[in-house]
Amino acid sequence: MNIISQKRRAVVICPGRGTYNKEELGYLQRLHADKTEIVSVVDQYRQSKGQISIKELDGMAQFNMRQHTSGENASALIYACALADFQSIDRNEYDIVAVTGNSMGWYIALAVAGALDAQASIELINTMGSMMTDGVVGGQMIYPITDDQWRENGETVTQIKQWLVEVNQVKTNEVYISIYLGGYLVFGGNKSGLKALEQKLPIVQDRYPMNLFNHAAFHTPLLNDISLKAKSLLSTELFESPKIPLIDGLGQIWQPYSCDTNKLYDYTLGTQVTDAYNFSKAIEVAIKEYAPDKLIILGPGATLGGAVAQCLIKHNWLGLSEKSDFIAKQKADPFILAMGIEEQRKEVINKK
Amino acid sequence: MSDRNQLVKENFINFVRSGNLPTSNSSLTPAAVGLNAPEVIDLFETQVMSRHLDLQSRVMQKKGQSFYTIGSSGHEGNAAYAKAFRPSDMAFLHYRSGAFVIQRSKQIAGQTPIYDMLLSFSASKDDPISGGRHKVLGSKTLSIPPQTSTIASHLPKAMGAAFSVDLAKRLNIEAQMPNDSIVVCNFGDASSNHSTTQGAINSTAWAAYQSIPMPIVYICEDNGIGISTSTPTGWIAANYQNRAGINYLYCDGLNLLDTYQKAKQAEHIARKLRKPVFLHMRTVRILGHAGSDAEFVYRKMSDIEAGEFQDPLLHSARILLENNILNAEQIIDIYTSVENRVAQVAEAAAAKPKLETAEQVMASIVPPVRASTNTSTNTSTNASKHQVTVDDSQRQTLFAHEKHNISKRQHLAKLLNWAMLDLMAEHQNIVMCGEDIGKKGGVYNVTAKLCDRFGENRVINTLLDEQSILGTAIGLAHNGFLPIPEIQFLAYVHNAEDQIRGEAATLSFFSNGQYTNPMIIRIAGLAYQKGFGGHFHNDNSFAVFRDIPGLIIACPSNGADAVEMMRSCVKLAQEQQRIIVFLEPIALYMTKDLHEEGDGLWTADYVPPKEAKAEVNQKISVFGEGKELCIVTYANGYFLARQAEKILAEQGVNCRVIDLRWLAPLDEKGIIEQVSQCENVLIVDECRQTGSISEALMTLIHEAHAASDKKTPNMSRITAQDSFIPLGAAANQVLPSASGIVDAAKALLQRKLQGKVQGKLQGISSEIKHTLASSK
Repeated sequence: MNIISQKRRAVVICPGRGTYNKEELGYLQRLHADKTEIVSVVDQYRQSKGQISIKELDGMAQFNMRQHTSGENASALIYACALADFQSIDRNEYDIVAVTGNSMGWYIALAVAGALDAQASIELINTMGSMMTDGVVGGQMIYPITDDQWRENGETVTQIKQWLVEVNQVKTNEVYISIYLGGYLVFGGNKSGLKALEQKLPIVQDRYPMNLFNHAAFHTPLLNDISLKAKSLLSTELFESPKIPLIDGLGQIWQPYSCDTNKLYDYTLGTQVTDAYNFSKAIEVAIKEYAPDKLIILGPGATLGGAVAQCLIKHNWLGLSEKSDFIAKQKADPFILAMGIEEQRKEVINKK
Repeated sequence: MSDRNQLVKENFINFVRSGNLPTSNSSLTPAAVGLNAPEVIDLFETQVMSRHLDLQSRVMQKKGQSFYTIGSSGHEGNAAYAKAFRPSDMAFLHYRSGAFVIQRSKQIAGQTPIYDMLLSFSASKDDPISGGRHKVLGSKTLSIPPQTSTIASHLPKAMGAAFSVDLAKRLNIEAQMPNDSIVVCNFGDASSNHSTTQGAINSTAWAAYQSIPMPIVYICEDNGIGISTSTPTGWIAANYQNRAGINYLYCDGLNLLDTYQKAKQAEHIARKLRKPVFLHMRTVRILGHAGSDAEFVYRKMSDIEAGEFQDPLLHSARILLENNILNAEQIIDIYTSVENRVAQVAEAAAAKPKLETAEQVMASIVPPVRASTNTSTNTSTNASKHQVTVDDSQRQTLFAHEKHNISKRQHLAKLLNWAMLDLMAEHQNIVMCGEDIGKKGGVYNVTAKLCDRFGENRVINTLLDEQSILGTAIGLAHNGFLPIPEIQFLAYVHNAEDQIRGEAATLSFFSNGQYTNPMIIRIAGLAYQKGFGGHFHNDNSFAVFRDIPGLIIACPSNGADAVEMMRSCVKLAQEQQRIIVFLEPIALYMTKDLHEEGDGLWTADYVPPKEAKAEVNQKISVFGEGKELCIVTYANGYFLARQAEKILAEQGVNCRVIDLRWLAPLDEKGIIEQVSQCENVLIVDECRQTGSISEALMTLIHEAHAASDKKTPNMSRITAQDSFIPLGAAANQVLPSASGIVDAAKALLQRKLQGKVQGKLQGISSEIKHTLASSK
């Protein structure tokens, strides 16, 4: 017989931009008052850069859209919340078998998996988050590709790809798929490209296509210069081998022993910045190659839950074939545990 | 034996921890072969994954969850050579290639090899390559076509695929594989004795010897034993070290570094020099031939243990330790964490759904129709990207040598030849291959002028080896060509039929329609050659094709049909990806007259392509409208039946004669529609009584009528004897003849007449009835 640990095996999923919103204000204060070390490392670094401390941001009386969601602030804030959540996972209960993340969540994944130490983490995350201080390059727009039961509609996807080709035939337009996000596609492009695509996409659920405020055209060739700049600012020395397997935005697995940190650096500051981020593929690889007992989504927020569930449905994982199956499963014995949701958080943290 | 699994599994940990590891004479370092430390660890991880998948399959088998336990244990060195090739280099793999597949899957992001392989063990319909039909190693993304490698029948097509790479470049054909690809093909030492291996390597050498590019690396994984039969010491090296045209390299498959280094050398020879390599790799076999193999019955325990101690995983551990890449506990950590991971994923995979109905199982026997690609200007199929328009002046050039004949009626051989001239001009991806089909134009001139018009790259004279001809065709088809191989005589195909049965025809089935190899196999056959040639040139059995699922058999009896049917076959292959046997009756190639000399009734006008019907016609043809007698037949039988029909008509019998034309699948509806209008049915089959299509026709007609309320017509059949065909006039003694058909028809009608008389005489004394009955 195989000796399988009695602990439950979990894959941890790290959140991306846009997860620290009005409801999350005070997240660190409220839930992680004990983790002063995390905040102080981040704020020391930010102080040296003359940036507002996340302690102050988190402690503000009111949520300020512009301030809290701008890259140079949101990145560090979300990182600190996610890292604090990660440290709260009850490791006597859960074996973390792999870590992945969405978009900026990749940087957090690198941090929690140990590929970056505490100093390197904030240096990388804050640097990457502050790339747009001179003006956001392009923008992002999100659009659903499933029916109301979260089943992917192949025809919609084919049609959208056709529209992308058409839009890009106009020389001044540049628009790409930026993120494969479960039941959504996130597009990244320049203003005119996004506008042209927006005009082609039928309005659904009264809010899509939706432009993402303060987001740049991440994961597209529009960020080629950003990638070069990042490589000039950040050294390969920041990277070390992860302690936990990492699944990236192409679905590649970076193993603790066989990880080539030079390649990890190249992926993180190269491909990952300029090519589409396939979060759906990362989740597919996570469930198929690790078959975890639980998926833990770190806070702040819980917006990735839907996208992850849509991935599960796509692969008929655990027999889930539509949204109602998933909701029933979550009620009976939740497979996804989002730490941004009070009830599910209790399942994850050390109860002592 | 289960204890052996446990022992081997635990030995690894114990031996690594105690430092009791096998030694090596090699002093290679990772740096010396161009690998860095993470890459060596990565290869080792692949080996460990492959090993734990083997072990897990046996655990699953005990639980009734796995149906395949032939593993890769001892052969995990193939991870190292996988790394030496590109993932677009098509790989035809034998069943001990788990580590190869895992390593290659790391070259393309987002693969899930552990899960996928466990799905294939458990025959889940989610298995991405076969859809639960077989445990095969394969992947569309990784350019690994699936197959059974158990009898080395994958080597001829690997040879063909290698040949096709540079052919596509020479012909400027948009192929499946990039132009600088090479082909990888592995097999075991025992498999090297198969005629398919011998033939494929011989063909490779034969081509390379005359400087034809053959970019292929054959890897013989030599574990020294084939199930229970030992390979003679030194046999592989002695056989392959000095083959004309082939580069021989040797590597120690127990040593990742040596294997990688030699594989890179092999890759260089194949990729840069476009020359074939035979890479002889030493391995050991661990855990027996398969899970069910009680190895201790035929192998000394000391030999088994010696093999186990040479475990490539232990050798890899030694390399990691010697080069200070990992310590023992880190190595063990990798080993146990992979073990846990595989066990966990196995549970998920085992729970996935299986194939549940015959319909689901059979869904991929017939390949999917190629997807249409709509462009703004034109609607065209994917297949037709190789199709060009041939205008009138181009056709005039094409047929310049026939300008005085083109408007005259011609026999079958000439008409078929012309049809192929047009088809090759229109379809740039058609390539013909066969014995003597080039300048000679084939034994019967059916391929005359094709080589002149389209060159030796498209009309290829092969060496005399039927397995290689069909293997070449299969390989060409894998790379996007539409091959039309020729088998010179029907009797010769039996030498190679498994290439169709076990390889070509199963490809879509085992790949869930992802891989296909459409082709038209032309075979000259059947008897009636006026006593010339004896059996091997008059063979009258194609039973070997009749039960191959999904295979189409076309058999024209005359030139007009041959043209129409060949054009249909090209459509069926290009658009529907079908495999077709095109059986050509030799005796009718040059036949011009039907009833008397000079009547010219067996000739026809050539229908030029633009006047041809666009649709594929897979139906029977019918001559006459008689209701008294329906003769069902094909090929020479149809020719003879038409002669008999005239004689019968003169004697007042009204016949209709059906030419089946397509022998698989039969146009069942068309046949039933015709015979049900007739009182009597005579089946004329020039093939043997046993196993000929006459049996299927009898059954079909009986079953169709039994299922309806209609009365079954009176039926009889006339067939060839269950004999081989002798020389001279004696041949006629065992084959149906026109007069024989007339006699059989009369006998059938007589019997029926007799029945009628009997009916009228009802009530007359039984004594008289008895007299009538015995007066026959």
